[in-house]
Parts: sequence; C-alpha cells; structure tokens
Amino acid sequence: MGVRDSHGEAAGTPDPVEKGIATLNTIRIGVKAMVHKDGALRKAEILSIKQRKDGLAFYVHYVDFNKRLDEWVASSRLDLSQEVEWPQPEKPEKKKSGPAKAPSKNKRVRAGSRDVSATPDTLTGKNTNVGKAQRPSKAGGKENRGDETPADLSMLASEAVSADGTPKAVSEDIDMMDASFTDAKEIKEEERALGLMSREEEIEKLRTSGSMTQNPTEVHRVRNLDRLQMGKYDIEPWYFSPYPASFSDAEVVYIDEFCLSYFDNKRAFERHRTKCTLTHPPGNEIYRDDNISFFEVDGRRQRTWCRNLCLLSKLFLDHKTLYYDVDPFLFYCMCTRDETGCHLVGYFSKEKESGEGYNLACILTLPQYQRRGYGRLLISFSYELSKREGKVGSPEKPLSDLGLLGYRQYWRETLVEILLDSGRETVSENELAMLTSMTEKDVHETLVTFKMLRYNKGQWIIVLTDEVIEERNKRLEKEKIKGSRKIDPARLQWKPPVFTASSRTWNW
Amino acid sequence: MTRYAGLGRTRPKKLTPKAPIPIYREHQIDDLEEEIQNGLQQVETGVEKAEESEYHLQVAINAVASGRVVNEAHIPTPETVLSNLQYDELYPPVFSQPATYIRFSSTVEDCCGCPYNMTDEDDVFLKIMNEKRDPADRCTEDQFEEVMNFFEETVRLKQPYAAVGSAPVLSFAEMQESMDATVEDYVRRLAKDVYDHWKTRRLNNGNQSLLPSLKFETGAETDDTDPYVCFRRREVRQVRKTRGRDAQSADKLRRLRKELEDARQLVALVRQRELARKEMLATERILFLQRAEVKDMKRKLNIKDDDEDLINQKPKKKPIEAPPMQRPAAAQLRMPPKPGAQAAEDLQLLEDVQAEKENEIIRDIKANIAKHMKWNEGYVDFTRAPLSPSPERTVDISFRPAITTQLPTPPSSDSSENTPDLALDMSGTVSYRDKLDEHALIMSEDANKMPSFRRRIGRGGRLLIDRRNFASRCRVELDPWKADRFKYDQEDSDEDLDYEMDQYDISLMQNRAIMLAKARDQAHAQAQAAQVRRLQAEQAALNNLNSGQTSGQTMGSNPGPGAIAPTPET
Repeated sequence: MGVRDSHGEAAGTPDPVEKGIATLNTIRIGVKAMVHKDGALRKAEILSIKQRKDGLAFYVHYVDFNKRLDEWVASSRLDLSQEVEWPQPEKPEKKKSGPAKAPSKNKRVRAGSRDVSATPDTLTGKNTNVGKAQRPSKAGGKENRGDETPADLSMLASEAVSADGTPKAVSEDIDMMDASFTDAKEIKEEERALGLMSREEEIEKLRTSGSMTQNPTEVHRVRNLDRLQMGKYDIEPWYFSPYPASFSDAEVVYIDEFCLSYFDNKRAFERHRTKCTLTHPPGNEIYRDDNISFFEVDGRRQRTWCRNLCLLSKLFLDHKTLYYDVDPFLFYCMCTRDETGCHLVGYFSKEKESGEGYNLACILTLPQYQRRGYGRLLISFSYELSKREGKVGSPEKPLSDLGLLGYRQYWRETLVEILLDSGRETVSENELAMLTSMTEKDVHETLVTFKMLRYNKGQWIIVLTDEVIEERNKRLEKEKIKGSRKIDPARLQWKPPVFTASSRTWNW
Repeated sequence: MTRYAGLGRTRPKKLTPKAPIPIYREHQIDDLEEEIQNGLQQVETGVEKAEESEYHLQVAINAVASGRVVNEAHIPTPETVLSNLQYDELYPPVFSQPATYIRFSSTVEDCCGCPYNMTDEDDVFLKIMNEKRDPADRCTEDQFEEVMNFFEETVRLKQPYAAVGSAPVLSFAEMQESMDATVEDYVRRLAKDVYDHWKTRRLNNGNQSLLPSLKFETGAETDDTDPYVCFRRREVRQVRKTRGRDAQSADKLRRLRKELEDARQLVALVRQRELARKEMLATERILFLQRAEVKDMKRKLNIKDDDEDLINQKPKKKPIEAPPMQRPAAAQLRMPPKPGAQAAEDLQLLEDVQAEKENEIIRDIKANIAKHMKWNEGYVDFTRAPLSPSPERTVDISFRPAITTQLPTPPSSDSSENTPDLALDMSGTVSYRDKLDEHALIMSEDANKMPSFRRRIGRGGRLLIDRRNFASRCRVELDPWKADRFKYDQEDSDEDLDYEMDQYDISLMQNRAIMLAKARDQAHAQAQAAQVRRLQAEQAALNNLNSGQTSGQTMGSNPGPGAIAPTPET
C-alpha cells in the first residue's frame, strides 16, 4: 500500500496557496474563508452559493470537521477581513496538455476534500442558468471516460479563476461550478498510484454488492433537505440523499414512520396516514424481548420499503451508496413497540452472500434514538447472526466516525468480557475470534488499539489494563441501575436464509 | 508486516493467530518496554482516509490512545427535537402484539391503499366541485384520489416516457379509451369533472408525475453522474452461454408464459362466472318482485289455484329429465358413490341425511373409544366391560367379514348372450342392482350373523382358518333340506364363473365394481354397527352387574367344524 497522505497533511503542503483579500462579490465556490462558528473562527470551504431574500448565503464545509456539520451561513458570518485561500488555479493552457505537471497533491486535495462535481443545482434553482443546468451532466458524463478535453464550461470556471479581480461569477448568476475538470485519465492514473479506486472499478465493486462508496463524487454533496418530520420527531438531515429533486424546495419532508414513504406536502402526508395500515417493518420478526423486536426484511421482496429505508438512512450515512438497487441485501430492523406499532429505531443491512466476509453492510441508529445504546445492540445482533451462521464477520468499510467508535467500543467490551470471565491463562486470537464471531484481524487490532497486546520479555502477552477493567466495572454498575440491554440468543428465531442458485444468478 | 517494522533489533517474534497468548493484569508486569511499543503498532481505522483527520474523531481516538478508555469524547451531531405534529391523530393506537413472532409479507403498496394523496390544491378544487354537484352525488376524498390515480396510472401506461420526453398531456378522449372493466363506476362518473383539474396540475408540473417519484436510470449518458438517479438495476451476472441452457431458459419462459396465460384465463372465467351470478341474482330479484305482484293480483282477483307459478319449478323438473341422461353416464364412467341411492337418487335425500347423522354419532363414539384406547395403551384393562380390549380379546376383532363378492352371479341368460348392445346392457345392470339390493338388505339384517372368518396360527405352527356364522342365513331362509340341496351348487357356480366368463366383460366389470363398492360400504357400516352394539352390550352388561352374568351363547348353529363362537365375557 502506498503511503496515503491524509487530507489535512495535504492541505499543509508547501504548494503555494494563493491567498488574498476577498469581497462578497469575489467570493466563489472553492474559496476557503474564515467563518464564525460557535463563537470561534474556523476555516471553511465554500461549496455553494445562493441568493436569499436577505442576501447571499453560503454553504460551507468546515475544514477538518465532519460534513454533517456543513451548513448554510449568511454572508455576515464570513470574516472577510482576513485573507481567504483561493482554489488552486487551473490554467487554460495546462488543461490542453493535461495537468500532468500540476502537482499531484493538489488534485488529491481536491479529490479528497471537495470534489463536488455533481453538486445538485436544484438548491439554487433561482440562479440556475442554462449553462449551469447542463454543466454537471456534460462534464460529469465524461468523467473517467477518456480523452476528451473538458467541455468549454470548465473553461468558464477557470476563466473566473484567472480573471481574479473581476470575477464574472458574481454578476447576476452565481457560478455554482467547482473546478474539478482535469483530464480524467490523469486522475485515474494518479488515483491508482495512490491506491484509490477508479470510478469504473468502484462501480464494478458496487455492482457486486458493495454498499459503501469511497468515491468522493458519491459523497460530499450539498445537503438537499432542510428538515425531516418522522414519528414524534423533527430531524435535521446530515447528508445528501436522492429524494425526489423537488423535495429540496420543501420546508419539511414528512416521513411515514412505518412505511417510510416520503411527502413534501403535509396534507398529502395526512391523507396517506389515513390509508396506511403498516404498523411494523414488512418482514418476519426474528427476535423479540421486553424492549425491542428485530425484523428481517428482504430487499428483493420488499423493494419499496427497503428503498425508502435506504433513502432515509442515506441522510445520515455519508458513504452509503444508492447507486445500485437493494435486492442483494437483507435488512435487519430494530424496533421498539408500543400501542401504535413497532417503531424503527435503527437497522443494519447485510449482503445475502458476501464475497468478502462482511457480516454487515450499513448500520444506522436513527438520530432521534442515538446515544442510548441502540447502536451497540445492533452491532451485537449482527454478531449474534454470525454466530448462528457459524462464521466470523466484519463490517463493510469504510466506517464512519461514529461507526468506528461504536465498533471499537463493542469489540473492546466483548473481548474484555471474555478475557476476564473465561478464567483462562492463555488464549489465542483465533480462539477469541471463534468465541465472538469477530475476525482475527478485528480481534488483533482491537487488542492493539487498546494497548492490551504487548511484547514483553521476548513474548507476546495480553494485558488487561487497569483502564479497561475500571471501565468494565463502571459499565456493570450502570447496567445494574439501568438494567442491561443485551441480545438474548435464545430469543432469536432465525435460520440463516438460503438463496438458490437461480436467485443468485439472476440476482433475485 | 509493516506493523512491526521499525522495531529495530528488538523485532518481536511473529504472532500467529493460533498461538496462545498469556493473559496478565497490568500490575503483574513491569512496563519498562511500553515506550518502545507505543507507536509501533499502527492500526487501520477503516475510516475513509480523508476523514480520519477530522477533529472530533481525532479527539476520540487520541483519548483512547492516551489510555483513557472511557471515551466521553463526543462527536457532535445535528439536533433532533420533538415535533409539534399531532402524533396521536396521525398514528392511531391500533397495534396489538401477537403472541407469536410476526410473519408478514405484504408490501408497502399492498398496505397504502390508493397511491395518490390529495394536496391542499386538490382540497380547494374538490370543495368547489362538490358545491356545484347535488348533495347526493358529491365526490368523496377517496373517490377523488381514485380518479386522480386513474389518470396518473393511465399516463404511466400510455406514455411511459412522459417524464423523459416532452409528450403532450393525455386528452380526455384517450383517458376514456382506457376505461376498462376494472375501472370503478364512480371513476367513470367523476372523471370528466376532475380531468381539467388534473390537466392543469399536470401542466404546472411540466407533465411530470404528480406523485413525487425517485429518479431511475433512463439509459441516457447523464445517468451515471446524476446524483438523483439511484437504485440502478444490477446487470445480471453473465452466465456461460450453451445451447442446452438456451433451450432450458426458452423452455422456462414458455412454461411461464403458459402458466400466466392459464392464470389469466382462470381469472377471466371467474370474472365471467361472477358476472353471470350477479345477473342471476338480478333476475331472481325481478322474478321475486313480479311474483309478489302476481300474488297481490291473485288476491285481488280472488284467484285460487295451486300457486305453482309462485315457486320455482326446478326441483320437479329434475327427476323427469335427469335419470335417462344421468344414469348411463354414471354407470359407465364412475363407481357409483352411493349404490343404494342409485335407483331413486332424488328420493333418498332424507335417508342420506339421516345416515349422515348416524354416521356422525358413530364416528364420535369411535373417536371416543380410540381416545380411551390411547389412554390405556400399554395397560391391560381387567374391568368387567373394558373399553380397550385386552390383547386376547382383540382376537375377536380379527374376525373378518366374509364378503361374498362373487356370490350373486349375473343371470346366466344375460351374460351368455353377451349382447354388445349398450342399451340392453344398461337395463341388465339396473336389474342386477335391484337384485343385489335385496341381498344387501338381507345381509345387513343382522351384523352378528354375517359370516366371518379369521386366520390364526395354532399349536405347532398349524395354520387354522376359523369360520363363524357360516350359512346361518341359509338356515333362516331355507329349511335344512333345501340348504343341503344347494350346498354344493354355489361352489359349482363359482367355478363356472371362473372358467366360462370373460372377466373383462363390461357388464361383469360393472357388476363387480358395484358389488365391491357396496360390500365395502356395508362392511364398514356393519363394522360400525357391530362396534356400537358391542359397546351397548358391554354397557348393558355393566349395568346388569348385580343380576349376575348370563353370557348368552347365541351361536348355537354353526354348521361348519372348527367354527368358533365369540368368546364369552369372562
């Protein structure tokens, strides 16, 4: 594996960053400016600009913060007294010859941090002119396709760049473009050199049932929904999700809690509620205890419901891809029950047949139920299924930040539990894997991460550190008071589903 | 491998997954070497590289790295708040949890009713529209939605590419064309009034579907990067093409096609039937009403007759028409299900019903006995009149009725003639049947007197056949003299049958079939009757416990040697 510079490092490369004082009129997409956020100034990148009644609004991404914190800010929050960083200029003559000479790191920065090539323009529908409407499709369609020189439209962007002082971007139409049109071939080669996947490879991987994308074009789009109404809660979406384009105009999008259908009109939603008879996920209940139930829903049999679920979860999972259909996945949905029905709390999806030994594809606790230990239950359930299957498994990568923390916590607690309770003097990683259905790799890395695996006097040892033991005792105390939430394997009524050869061939 | 690189001279041994690792507590070891190990072991997080450096995640990871396991390092997320929506109104408390785990396979579409949902705009229109209509003919919200849905559906079928190309909005005439039988009446009625409203809305929407819909692939170049296009179909995995597989799939398709066609046909026929039935109901209603009128008229005019015109004549017609038509068919094609009922099918209905009732009672009793026997399984019942017989007693049951299938030979005249004339044959069978019926009646007179036999193995392994009640009937019917005279006749005639008759002669086969069926029925009935009787006898015996035991030996008249009387109750 090549060395992968993280984005942060890349940003700090000696590559000259063009800086200068900008005005509201000269600010354009790609500019990094300081923005007031929670009483502090933070560097943020402008991803989109739109005209509002009260002036310009900027969609900003705070550098080195998760995209779920991206937001629209009024122009007053930009601190233009400080210098801003201009986006890397792409000189027209360079483009013809291909940007081979351009420092590769630049591009990586761009690819990593803000390749917004397909930013949906609907948000700024009022400002959209013809050229812009075509732009993403034309240039985008060509991406990775070979040797065509970038469309003229990309010239527009670079012209704006080179024009520097007199940007046309601000006149009556605010330029929504980003500057991501370099010769696609070049990008591909570079990405390959960097160990990244090309778009084609990525799509092929997705086709053979991946659910997570690593492709920057798939992620990092301007959030399209403002507010979500679901069940008893109003929720703020985190990321873009391909709900109907017209929904981005809606103030609130209503989600039916049971069938997960979506409405941009309150009246339509209310009418729907009078007719909808679903009271639980449309599948078979496979687990039930005092608090929760699990339903198994087949993506092929319940296409609409699973699509609805994926659309919803995409709002909260950055790397989830909806590029392909839901057929090869099973969805395990966790619900709490009351007299109105079984309320979806979270779910995880799982490939019917994973070539790479994943036992989980996507996992989400709905935001209104987060930080209550449900995520841990979901993870625990996924391993319970693996135990039933007699397999070891691991979640599909990439993990999100929350996913990583959740998994590390579960792994640590599970391993500590076994190490403490088994009373053994020695244990191998393989044994731990068998006991937990975790992969050996996950076992090993967990031990390493928590500094439990050490090399001492010429041999490897596992050390139960004071910290982990203390943490465990704390947790046990807490459980004593609050009652522990655990998956009881005896209540799981489930046999690993078998899919016939034809269903696999035809992808049913 | 790179994990341990850089350790230099203290490069540790490779750790294999199967190698047992000793477990220690922290205080059990000295942490001299700890420093060396810090930073040696790099672990991939599995998080996207560009995001690994994110501030909050780094805080959380570093918290762990610095030894603080209790990670209250909090990654902030946007807030969720309680909605001010009227939850209770929208989500009624209708759920009751079943005792068993829920199994469910209906789809969202199945559960959501009409897919079109009214908007505020529709509300306004509907209100205005209803004001114009007379109160009896108002359009409900549900009906309105159905109408709108009909329009949308029709467009979807007729202009599948309306969303892509720029097709004109479908005209009302075209809408009317596609109103087939599945369209509800009120949709037809209301369509005209709603159409204009729909058209306006559709035009405002750029002739796009009024239902918000996801963007699927259109086959255009732009699909690939359009972020709104989602849930593409996965291309089918390429299968190696062989002739055999081609033929197979062609075959499968053909079969599927045929099955679908059959299903369609079935549905169409069902529909036809239901329509006919509806028509019939309507006709009957008219008939009824007219009869009522007739009745009134008759009363008014004081006509007194047998009122035959007031009832349906069908039942009367049937016996006249049916027998000549049904009989031959029945005789030829199938075993008569109820042999006794053959002659006068329609007249025996009451009897049938009674028999059915009787059977039910008997079945009940039998079931009870069986249940009792099950309880007592493995035990021997030594009470006076045990319901579950002890092993020895079951021998009694093993007596089988001697069913004399071949006994009533067809009159020799008939069979020897062997006329191929069908009509004649038919009359023949009918006549046998009548004769046989007599026999049947005689035989079933007393089940106890039914000749029966059993096979048993005696001492030394001899095979014994025991007969019972043999020829007792003869004794009743004939005087001993006559009985003697015919003693060997029967056997002779048996042999005649074997040698002279064509076993596959139609009339013979019919005869046999009838006899078999009858005998089976009778045997069954007799067995039941016997059981009932025995039960009764046993009960009676129980009741008569005090009056002493008088086991009547009714079978004094067994003519054959070795015949065994039913073992008396012990």
